[in-house]
Amino acid sequence: MDKLLRDKKAIIIFVAPAFLLFTFVLFIPICQSVYYSLCSYDALTKPEFIGLENYKQLLFNDKTMKIALKNSLFFMIFSCVSQLVVGLILAAFLTNIEKGRNFFKNVYYLPCVLSSAALGLLWMFIFSPKLGINQILALWGIEGPLWLMDVSGYINLPMKVIAFVALWQYVGQSMMLYMAQISGIDRNLYEAAYIDGATKPKAFLYVTMPLIRPMIATAMSLNCIGSLKFFDLIFNMTEGGPNHQTEVLATHLYTQGFKYFKYGYASAIGVVLLVLCLIVTFIINKFVKVDSYEM
Amino acid sequence: MRRKAMAVLLSAAMVSSVLAGCGSGSSADSGSSADSGGTAATEASDEAEAAVNVADGEVQEITWMFWDDLNATEDLITIGYKEVVDRFNEDYDGVYHVTPVTTNLEEYYTKLNALVASGQTPDVFIVSPGPNLDVYVEPGITADLTDYLKQDGWMDTFNGGEGAFSQQTYDGKIYAVPLNIAAACVFYNTEMFAAAGIDTMPTDWEGLLDACQKLQDAGYTPLTISAGTAWCLSMLAGYLCDAEGVDLAAIDAGEAHWTDDNVAQAAAKMLEISQYFQATAAGDTNDVATANFYNEEAAMLIQGSWAIAQINGANPDFEDKCGVFAFPGTNGRVIAKSDSLAMSATTQYPEAAIAFMKYFTDDTAQKYTAEIGGKIPVTTVDYDESVAPAQLAYVMDVFSNAESTFGFYNESLASTEAGSTFDDAMVSIYLGTPIEEGLQTIEDFYINNVWN
Amino acid sequence: MKKISIAKIAIYIFLILLAFIYLAPLVWMLFVSVKDNAEIFTSPFALPQQIQWENYAFAWTAGYLGRATLNSAIVCVTTLILSMVIGSMAAFAIARLRWKFARLMMTYFMIGMMIPVHCVLIPLFKTFSGIGMYNSLTGLIIPYTTFSLPITIFIMTGFFENMPRELFEAACIDGCSIYRCFLSIAVPLSKTGLFVTGLMSFVANWNELLLAMVFISDDMKKTLPVSLSKFVGPYNTNYVQMFAAIIIAIVPTIVVYCCFSNQIVDGLTAGAVKG
Repeated sequence: MDKLLRDKKAIIIFVAPAFLLFTFVLFIPICQSVYYSLCSYDALTKPEFIGLENYKQLLFNDKTMKIALKNSLFFMIFSCVSQLVVGLILAAFLTNIEKGRNFFKNVYYLPCVLSSAALGLLWMFIFSPKLGINQILALWGIEGPLWLMDVSGYINLPMKVIAFVALWQYVGQSMMLYMAQISGIDRNLYEAAYIDGATKPKAFLYVTMPLIRPMIATAMSLNCIGSLKFFDLIFNMTEGGPNHQTEVLATHLYTQGFKYFKYGYASAIGVVLLVLCLIVTFIINKFVKVDSYEM
Repeated sequence: MRRKAMAVLLSAAMVSSVLAGCGSGSSADSGSSADSGGTAATEASDEAEAAVNVADGEVQEITWMFWDDLNATEDLITIGYKEVVDRFNEDYDGVYHVTPVTTNLEEYYTKLNALVASGQTPDVFIVSPGPNLDVYVEPGITADLTDYLKQDGWMDTFNGGEGAFSQQTYDGKIYAVPLNIAAACVFYNTEMFAAAGIDTMPTDWEGLLDACQKLQDAGYTPLTISAGTAWCLSMLAGYLCDAEGVDLAAIDAGEAHWTDDNVAQAAAKMLEISQYFQATAAGDTNDVATANFYNEEAAMLIQGSWAIAQINGANPDFEDKCGVFAFPGTNGRVIAKSDSLAMSATTQYPEAAIAFMKYFTDDTAQKYTAEIGGKIPVTTVDYDESVAPAQLAYVMDVFSNAESTFGFYNESLASTEAGSTFDDAMVSIYLGTPIEEGLQTIEDFYINNVWN
Repeated sequence: MKKISIAKIAIYIFLILLAFIYLAPLVWMLFVSVKDNAEIFTSPFALPQQIQWENYAFAWTAGYLGRATLNSAIVCVTTLILSMVIGSMAAFAIARLRWKFARLMMTYFMIGMMIPVHCVLIPLFKTFSGIGMYNSLTGLIIPYTTFSLPITIFIMTGFFENMPRELFEAACIDGCSIYRCFLSIAVPLSKTGLFVTGLMSFVANWNELLLAMVFISDDMKKTLPVSLSKFVGPYNTNYVQMFAAIIIAIVPTIVVYCCFSNQIVDGLTAGAVKG
């Protein structure tokens, strides 16, 4: 058995395709990017080595970077918590009802399969003061706020709006992951719990939760990394505006790299983003992840 | 094993030689069709040139990159360009062939730069003059077109001769050819103006404010503008800055500053007139702001003349009610913008590229530009004014009465990013950031990126 | 069990309200797609005055949506198969085989999940156009597969790790090779995982815009998202036709999703995940 599992040839056959693809399509370009981040490079002329100049500018001199960092962190924490809570609640509700389970599940998951670019555009329409929900609110005499333009406050309104739209779009994903895990739990465990006098919420708390903990860790790290890289919705709803107030790391990278073609500088943002992702994953692995759990 | 490999290699070589045979066969075919194409194209201007290329027996295949899809668009100018492409491919059938490469405006420069970076610069591409063009001229990506323009009197067909190329000239060399001109004007609803009792168009700042007040008193929204699309608000800000005597050259040289009084004055004026904006101006996008105007929900719209086609297309009945006047109080200066074509310095077929570019500035194309596209033609073509949209004549008046023109602010500053910084600062001032603070962000940008 | 508890009613009310929030914007989009451009600005919420089916016809022909749908299908299905095969192979090696660098390899793959596409766009494009993969669907399939791998490996590793060791031991005693173990035991038992990851990668690639935009210029090879952006003009956007095109574009995803989702439910109720 052990010999079989240590078969070098088999290991190579299993891993090589993925490894080679990764190395050529991701790793080598990333190394090139890291090199570019040390250069003044605009994609049109040859890169010119300037050392850590880009990082100095980025970390000490760039106001937009500060906003982007703040927004990205807010966004990450918000999605992490809200997706966990709402996703679990939905999964719990849906596994407990019989009629219409498939319908609701399909409806909530639907936005996940749609293009976030298209949905971003749709929501931009909906939050536009002239065309959108403000017109409906006005029917009841409520004057709606400038959803995507009001920049007062530490975390401004547009960021909150975007965070809610993101929750709307992606919570189906977490819900599905939890549901997959919950339906895998042995019915007998619940029967036993009910015989012991547990109510449904109690059963959920003491039977379901511990059993789906590995999936919670998984879903959380997916959420965190996904929200740090988050781009499409913001880009289509506000493009980082007004005045960079809704910029996150990925949009800042895009603007610098592909609007102003400061490609070296954008690479530096990319490296910072990568480092942040690594740190977050490390933290989650350290504190949330339990040892692989045999169900 | 080795023998087997050899066999595979050999058969591969055979296949490729067969393929090569096919390739030469087909090119011979196209050579003969080029012959007939050549005779058909005798009415095309460059007969001699075409004949030379027929002798080569190869179709010269070039690419043209553009920022709007030629089939899915509603933009009349784009539709005109599609006709140019079709006409060119038909006239030069078998000699030259152009393939358009299109993206939308959002990703245009991303894609163009990726192509340039990998050595596949399109033979001809569209570009806005200003910092957008600078970045291609400086590293030598675009070709010097001066000699081509001076041949066969091409340059003389342009309105103003060499003067038409001022925005495209670097050290006396011309690097791009303008295709049309759009001017930023004030469009107004004549019925509303009449109802508010305004008979003479405002010619200075006080006059404009006065007109706004009268319109408001008469129960109209005086001015529709978009702060959601930053460059729209910035167009107004650009006019106000210029009127206050802001000198961009001096600022670029570090002799004047964004925190100077005249810029602050301009920003204050913008805030002063902002009380007459539509209520939703802060969040409206360009589309919405323009729709407000042609749906007769507001009396005035400050826009580039490309909006004419959009306005008349969306509400054909509105053409008769729509007037145009120059933005008042600017000492006769008008903001103008032109789309231009540049040619790759490394193109394999410069003749084909030049012949193609000439099709954009020939009489047919320029007539279309004026009569249907509603933009100002760059050549001295005679077009039928009765066919052209009514507003074009007014814009032409504004344009020809102008003392001088200047570029859109977001395309005239030190870099594209400087332009956006200006736009963003103006939007944030409008949204409530104190003027000094807003201007300081532009100043900071210049300290960090331009003056060092 | 006849009595319906108040809690259950509350849950249903909540779920129905939520479903409304989910569906209303999409229904609204459906309405907009059969209006004309002027109506959007004058009465955005009203029912369409006259249903303009020609928006769909225009979007279909002018955007070459038929061709684009085919291209998207080719790219996404190929990517789906490749990433499921390659990804589950690697995941199996990491989760089940014993070798020193398994954890390290996992970390290496996980880094891939953290890389924004924008970071590698220009180096990748330079390399690909150097080897003639500019303007070819293969040039999209390769990066798409690579970008789908991390999530596939991530989820599949979890599935493989949760399988009881006894299963494999028994198989080994019966004389199964390691390849048979993978094909006949590991893969069938992780069907659910494969469906979930497959769906995720399919959806992500179906909607991917940036790479497709840069890598493909030929109209005949454009994918759906690129074709959707055709309706955004330089100064004004062709909203109604764009929304019509968007609806045409999302129908296949919804169909695919419905097929897949039933599979997932089947897989779950069969208890495959229990392992």
